[in-house]
Amino acid sequence: MTTASREDSSRPITAVEESRIFLRLRFLLARSTLRSMLGEARLRLSLVILLSALFWGSLYGLFHEAFFFVDSLHAEVVPLLFNAFFSSLMVMLVFSTGILLYSGLYTTPEARLLLTLPATSATIFNHRFQEAFWFSSWGFILLGSPMLVAYGVVRGAPPHYFILLLPFMVAFVAIPATLGGIFCMTLVAFMPRVRVHALSIAVGGALAAIAWLAGTAFASARAETMSAEWFEQAFSRLGITEQRLLPSWWLSSGLLEAAARAKDGSVWRHLTESLRFLAVLIANALLLQLVAGWVASHFHRLGASQLVGELPARRQRRMSWFDDLLSRTGTARGRPLRLLLVKDLRIFRRDISQWSQFVIFFGLLGLYFWNVRVFNYQHSYAAMIGFLNLAVVGLILSTFTTRFVFPMISLEGRRFWILGLLPVHRDQIVWSKFLFSFLGGLGPCCVLVGLSDVMLGLDRWLIAIHEACCVSLCAGLSGIAVGLGARMPDLRESSPSKIASGFGGTLSLVISSLFIIAVVLVMAVPTHLFLATAGGADGSSLAWAGTPRAVAGGLATVLVLGFAATALPLALGLHAFRRLEP
Amino acid sequence: MIEFSGISRSYGTKVAVSDLDLTIPRGELFALLGPNGAGKTTTIKMLVGLLMPSRGHVRVAGHDLVLDPRGAHLHLGYVPDEPCLYDKLTGREFLWFIADMFGMPRGLAERRIAAEIDHFELGDFADDLAESYSLGMRQRLVFASSLLHDPETLVLDEPMVGLDPRSVRIVKDLLRERTRAGMTVFMSTHTLAMAEEMADRVGIMVRGRLVFLGTVAQLRQHGAGRSGTAGTGHESLEQLYLDLTSQTGAVAPR
Repeated sequence: MTTASREDSSRPITAVEESRIFLRLRFLLARSTLRSMLGEARLRLSLVILLSALFWGSLYGLFHEAFFFVDSLHAEVVPLLFNAFFSSLMVMLVFSTGILLYSGLYTTPEARLLLTLPATSATIFNHRFQEAFWFSSWGFILLGSPMLVAYGVVRGAPPHYFILLLPFMVAFVAIPATLGGIFCMTLVAFMPRVRVHALSIAVGGALAAIAWLAGTAFASARAETMSAEWFEQAFSRLGITEQRLLPSWWLSSGLLEAAARAKDGSVWRHLTESLRFLAVLIANALLLQLVAGWVASHFHRLGASQLVGELPARRQRRMSWFDDLLSRTGTARGRPLRLLLVKDLRIFRRDISQWSQFVIFFGLLGLYFWNVRVFNYQHSYAAMIGFLNLAVVGLILSTFTTRFVFPMISLEGRRFWILGLLPVHRDQIVWSKFLFSFLGGLGPCCVLVGLSDVMLGLDRWLIAIHEACCVSLCAGLSGIAVGLGARMPDLRESSPSKIASGFGGTLSLVISSLFIIAVVLVMAVPTHLFLATAGGADGSSLAWAGTPRAVAGGLATVLVLGFAATALPLALGLHAFRRLEP
Repeated sequence: MIEFSGISRSYGTKVAVSDLDLTIPRGELFALLGPNGAGKTTTIKMLVGLLMPSRGHVRVAGHDLVLDPRGAHLHLGYVPDEPCLYDKLTGREFLWFIADMFGMPRGLAERRIAAEIDHFELGDFADDLAESYSLGMRQRLVFASSLLHDPETLVLDEPMVGLDPRSVRIVKDLLRERTRAGMTVFMSTHTLAMAEEMADRVGIMVRGRLVFLGTVAQLRQHGAGRSGTAGTGHESLEQLYLDLTSQTGAVAPR
């Protein structure tokens, strides 16, 4: 090749050309992913669509009823409700987008590839931002749209209100999402070593602030829970979220204006006002995009270099005493099993993505359960809330068992040359995963269920029943995830998230959900009938279902279900794993 | 041309690369050797713009990697030790993405993509998704992508990992052909035979310092001078390398 031909081979491309190339890249990736999903993961796709529709419909129904209720009492609390809701989501969006962008801009192989190509940092940021923005918008729209549509329907809003919903929501999400990106790039560039601590403190502070706000708001008028006075007092304390400089206020005000009609039925004045709020949102979103582009141009490469230049983590010795204790306590025969447990425990501790999600989800549940005491429920109603809380704990646990426990056997399969050559029976590998999942989930779940019941003021026998159900759920969910993980391993895949999102992982999640529903229903129905009829027959045809014997029968069924959900998948998994040929 | 001027890079208190001054002219194939942890990867990361030096400058075709990364990257091709591809793109789509990023004219890109697919024998799987590729197939595709825009400088980090003997031969022939045409090649490798066969000059790095810089023949002479015997075979080169890399603080003539 001559120098002349080389000069012709490459040239700096313009920002518009760069954007077009990345847009095409995104299109190709999306098309290919969609084709793969339609071809290989129809079950998962159908489930996602079905569950999303179910979730949307349930939320819509809930909000529809709620707005009817609120409208009939004190319609003026709606702006407060909107402001509180959107300002909370705004804080969460800043963090979630920041975390997504951290991964996308710095830690993925794609980030390293893009840094070695002649792409500008601003374009790389925009490319990764679009993905983070899409994820953030999707969650926000799924959560916010049923509420806003329900409000429009209840209020009889004009058609343009429904048309403006999407532009308003998208323009709003862009602001906290961009702020998250700016914070992320600044933090990585200037505080690379303390980024995890800084983020933890910020997330912790935000959660504490939200908890404090919720706690102080709803701690009022305990004696008259759900009354008009209670609502008024509670929402008046949320006035702090009505700051006019907050994008959440622009969004709330713009939407309320769009839904409003003048007394003569005219909508033009309100529509104009609404469009002004939309313009403010869009203008701020665009301004922040410019700022983010500038920050990316100046700090993105610096931050990436800082991260690449970080020293590997020092040897972790802080918990070694616990590992030593666990591996040495017990019989010599059980030592291989305990050593496998210690290995998994160490991996869990050192994988921030695992334990941080565990802490965040269970921490949020803990906050909710702690605040549940401020609602003064009737006894039978409180027991049902207790069962709902039990179901929520089970569902959260099932997402963890599917996401983190299900792929464990597949990942061991990839490293089979290590374990396969050790003097360890294959069964012990499967049992170690089960014990890891069961024991790891049991403690936090039982504490959470206990906390919920104590805060609801439930009787001891009800707490004991809930705890028994919780033990059954932990064992069953662990059995399902480990058993199916061993029965349907994906030995080619190295990414746990991809293993979990395959057919086996989806099936595990579906079976886990059905198991949770079965356990909770089998126990909740007789308990509710027993409490509603105060333990005595009321002469109806369902009287038998509310007797102490029925409650005991329900408990026995729960234990049988738990045993079956543990033993059957594990037996299948053990059988398959013994014959596994990696 | 590649220029390292007074380059140093530290990780905390640990010095990974210290006072590296090195110029590799057009048309030279340079092999950087050294034991694990010697600073080779740090040097390559600074050369491709993934890492900024703590001190000094790295220039590619006259463009400073820190001040003008985009200008430098236009003249740079990079084959990392772990090939990175988009799993949901086909090989051909990936090549088009790279060609577009380098602003290659449509017709030229089309011809080059066809030529590289042919050259690296990617035809059978160029239209399959990259997620189905083996390590060797991925490595060949990355090679093809790094050469599409006919860069002035090619940086290779352990380039033969995962390649079968036939692909190794293709790569070796290609490197010879391109260096003859004026391309500068900077290669990090653990394979002494590869360096001996291909490199115009070798550099040996130990604990962040370049302890030897010269041709393989000079390395042999240097070893003979030290031991009083002339090295002849591959074993003796290996011994020379081992002797050099086991010396702590001893700086060989450069």
